Amino acid sequence: MKVTIKKWTGVATWKWVANDDNCGICRMAFDGCCPDCKLPGDDCPLVWGQCSHCFHMHCIVKWLQSQPVNQQCPMCRQEWKFNNK
Amino acid sequence: MIKLFSLKQQKKDGETTPRAGNQKKASAAQLRITKDINELNLPKTCNTEFPDPDDLLNFKLIICPDEGFYKTGRFVFSFKVGPNYPHEPPKVKCETQVYHPNIDQQGNVCLNILREDWKPVLTINSIVYGLQYLFLEPNPEDPLNKEAAEVLSSNRRVFETNVQKAMRGGYVGGIYFERCLK
Repeated sequence: MKVTIKKWTGVATWKWVANDDNCGICRMAFDGCCPDCKLPGDDCPLVWGQCSHCFHMHCIVKWLQSQPVNQQCPMCRQEWKFNNK
Repeated sequence: MIKLFSLKQQKKDGETTPRAGNQKKASAAQLRITKDINELNLPKTCNTEFPDPDDLLNFKLIICPDEGFYKTGRFVFSFKVGPNYPHEPPKVKCETQVYHPNIDQQGNVCLNILREDWKPVLTINSIVYGLQYLFLEPNPEDPLNKEAAEVLSSNRRVFETNVQKAMRGGYVGGIYFERCLK
């Protein structure tokens, strides 16, 4: 039997691979977006600290901006350093 | 991502047209406080009151300690959650006059997580437990009511009597306290 494909539709799913389901700051799902964004994905990415804790980038940046000195991870209070690996 | 990209395009195209229904979007603080309140797990000594049930940003917490110096008392705290929550802590005031080293006559509360140690991963529940802890273990170091703190560190029995006197309604150290027994 010969089959001729007339049409196909590609479907893909994606998810962030993080230790947790929700951002500890805004409590929204990591696979969703922070409350200031409308669309999840590359526009509202996750970032990790060297302490291994993870947040929506917009949430942690907003927090760090409000802490002029002693920028610490809100989870573990270790000094916050972006994990650039 | 294909769907997402087309959504993004739609968004760009529709940037100038207002959203259908024109509903006001809940603010980040409102979204977060809704989650906090839904997940609130109050100890049996605590209760909340929402004067306006549609406004989760302003509410009261009532603590009736069942042990410690303040057993049988009833203390009301007001919570005001600002637009920057959870990046800033809620403003919490004690509405009941109380003889306590960490609460002053204006109702200001000295609790680390309400000030310098606040972090946005904390929740309303963390504050509730912090406040409850203040009644179980008043802290004479770094006090707001210095007299009460001095009495607490020099003589716990006198402190206990003073707390009882204040809760029954009366003068302690020249300051009048309203009755706040349950």
